[in-house]
Amino acid sequence: MGQDVFEITVNCIKLVLIFLMMVQAVPILVWVERRGSAFIQNRFGPNRVGPLGLLQLLADAVKFLTKEDFAPDKAIRPLFYAAPIFALIPATLAFAAIPMSVPLEIGGYVFKIQGYDMNVGIVYILGVSSLAAYTILMAGWGSASKFSLLGALRASAQVISYELALGLSIVGIILLFGTFNLTEMINAQQGTLSFKAFGHTVTSAYIPNWGIFYQPLAAIIFFAATFAESNRLPFDLAEGEAEIVAGFHTEYGGFKMLMFFIGEYGHMMLGSALMIIFFFGGYGIPWVTVDDVRQWAAGLSESATTISVITTLVHFLSFMIKFVFFLWVFIWVRWTLPRFRYDQLMDLGWKTMLPWALGNTILTALVIYLIS
Amino acid sequence: MAEASGMPLGGVIFLTVFLAIFGTFLIYLARAIGGQRKDNSAVKRDIYECGIPGQEKRETKVSVKFYLTAILFILFDIEIIFMYPWAITFRDFIASGQGTFVFTSMMIFLAIFIFGLFWEIKSKALEWD
Amino acid sequence: MTPDVFLFWFLALLIIGSGLAVLLFTNPIYSALSLAMTMVGVAAIFITLHAYFIAGVQLIVYAGAVMVLFVMVLMLFDIKAEIQAFSSGKISGAIKLISVGLLSGLIVGGIIMGQKSFVGELSKDAVQVAEAQKVKKSTSPDAATKELGMVLFSKHIFGFEALGVLLTVIAVGAVALARSRGGTHHAK
Repeated sequence: MGQDVFEITVNCIKLVLIFLMMVQAVPILVWVERRGSAFIQNRFGPNRVGPLGLLQLLADAVKFLTKEDFAPDKAIRPLFYAAPIFALIPATLAFAAIPMSVPLEIGGYVFKIQGYDMNVGIVYILGVSSLAAYTILMAGWGSASKFSLLGALRASAQVISYELALGLSIVGIILLFGTFNLTEMINAQQGTLSFKAFGHTVTSAYIPNWGIFYQPLAAIIFFAATFAESNRLPFDLAEGEAEIVAGFHTEYGGFKMLMFFIGEYGHMMLGSALMIIFFFGGYGIPWVTVDDVRQWAAGLSESATTISVITTLVHFLSFMIKFVFFLWVFIWVRWTLPRFRYDQLMDLGWKTMLPWALGNTILTALVIYLIS
Repeated sequence: MAEASGMPLGGVIFLTVFLAIFGTFLIYLARAIGGQRKDNSAVKRDIYECGIPGQEKRETKVSVKFYLTAILFILFDIEIIFMYPWAITFRDFIASGQGTFVFTSMMIFLAIFIFGLFWEIKSKALEWD
Repeated sequence: MTPDVFLFWFLALLIIGSGLAVLLFTNPIYSALSLAMTMVGVAAIFITLHAYFIAGVQLIVYAGAVMVLFVMVLMLFDIKAEIQAFSSGKISGAIKLISVGLLSGLIVGGIIMGQKSFVGELSKDAVQVAEAQKVKKSTSPDAATKELGMVLFSKHIFGFEALGVLLTVIAVGAVALARSRGGTHHAK
C-alpha cells in the first residue's frame, strides 16, 4: 500500500487525538455555554468552583461518573445501552475528515492535519452524519417510554427534513468549486476575490476570496440547517418540558446522558467546521495564500522542516479562531432566539428553506452557464 | 500517501471500532463507579411519568405524518443526490460545448422536482396540526 | 494476506453476518437495524472498489434514508403482533431455513464458479479495466465521479429524466395513500 508501519501508527494516533480533542472540547463548551448564557441574561453562572468556575467542568465529570447506572425495567437493554455508544460515532467519523491545516512535511513524510482524506469529502460527511438518526431512534425505542418514543419520532423527522435543505444548499457550493474534496475547496478560496466572467478576470483587493461572497443564500440556509441537524435551539423541538419531557433521552442519566451530549456537541463542531470550509476559506488566512505564508516563514528560518511547522501552526491557529467564533455563534443564537412550534419548524424546513435552496441552485447554475 | 487505496477506509474502520470499545468502556466505568443502589423499588424502576403510575403502553398510536415526512424525504433525497454528479461535471460540460444540453435537461428535472414540491405544499400534505 | 484482502474478508463477513441477522432476529426492529448495518457494509465494499461517490450514495440513500423510514414505520406499529407472526409457526421457520439454504448455496456456488477458468478470464479483464482507471484517477480525486456524471448526463439522460417523473409519481401516490380515510389513523 505504499505506507510503512510508522505512518499507519501515526495515522491511528491522529484519529484518536481528534476524538480526544472533541471530547475535551465538550466540557469547555458546556462551561462557555453556561457562562455565556449567564452573561447574556445578566446572571452569574457557575463561579464557585475554581477561578471563574472553571473547575466546574471537573466537578461535573465526577458527578456524572458517580451517578447510579440506571435502566428502567421495561427498557430493551441492548438498544438502551447501545444508543449512547452509537451517539459518539457519526459525528466523530465525520469530523475526522475535516482538514484543519496544511499538511506537515517532516523528513520525507507528509502528515495531513486531518484524520483521513476522503476523496468525496462532502458526500462522505453527509452520508456518515445521516446515520445519526439511528441513535435517536434506538434511544427512543429502547427506553420503552412514550415520551422517548414521541421525542425520537419528532427529532428524527426534524433531522431528516433539514437534511434536504442542507443537501440542496451544498449543490450550489459544488457548482461553484467543481469538486467534492474539502482541501480543494479551501485551495479555491485562497487570496483576494477574483473570478472570471465573460472572459475577463474580475478582482478586488479588499475582499477575501471566500465562498460566502459567491453563495450568501446557501450560507444562510446551510447554517440554519446545521442548527436543526444538531438539535440546537431555536430548533430543539426534540425536547419540550411541557410536552415530551426531555425527548428521546428522557430515561437516560449520568454518563449515558453525557455521551448524548458529546454527540450533540460533536454535530455542532462539525457544523461550524463545514461552515468555515464552505464559506469562510477553511484554514486559509483572509487575503493571504498558503504560498505567501510559506514565503514569510522562509524569511524566518532556513530549514524546510521549521518552515513547514510554522506554516502548519499558523494555519491551524487561523482555523481555530474561525472555529471558536462559529461555536460561539451557536451558543449566542441559542440564548437569543425563542424556540419554534413544531408545525412552524416543519413549515420552515419544507416550505421556506427547500424552495429557497432550489432557487439558489438554479440561480447559481444560470450564472455559471451565462458567464462562461 | 496512497490516497485512493483502502487506507481511508482502514482509518474509518479503526475509528469506529475504537469508538465502540471506548464507549463500552465508559459505560462500564460509570457502572463500576456509580454502582447500583439496593433500594430498587418497582416505582423507581418504572419509566418516567408525571407523578402518577405509568399508564400508556409503548405502542402509542402516532400520526401518519411522520411516515409521510420520511417517505417524501427519501424521494427528495434521491433527487438531490442526482444533482451532485451534475453539479460536479457542469463546468466540464460547458467547456466541452455541451453546456446548453446539460443545463436544459437539468432544468427539466428541476421543473419536475419543483412541480412535485409545490403539489405537495398545495395538497396540504406537509401541514402539521 | 495483504491489507486489501483482509479488508475484503472482514467486510464480506460483516455483510453476511448482518444479513443473516436480518433473517434470524425475531424482533423486526433488530432486523431493520441489521439491514442498515448490511447497507453500511456494502458502502464500505464500494469504497474498496474505488467507487467513492456510489459509496456515499449508498450511505445517504439506503443507510440514511430508506432504513430510517423502515425503523420509523416499525415504531408506528403494534410490534407485539408482528413479533408473533415473525417468530412462531412452522411456515415462517421453514421459510427461514430455505432462505439460509439458498444463501449458503449461492456462496458455495460462487466459490465453485470462481474457480472455473472462464470466470477467471472475465475477472482478469475487470482487473485490467480497474488498473487502467486507477492510472487515470490519480490525476484528480473527483475523476471517477466526473466520469459517472459524464455518462449519466449524456448517454443515460432519458433514464434520468424518467426517474424524475417516477419519483414525483411516487410522492403523489404516497400522499394520496396517507390522506385516504379508513386507514389505521382515522379509524375510531
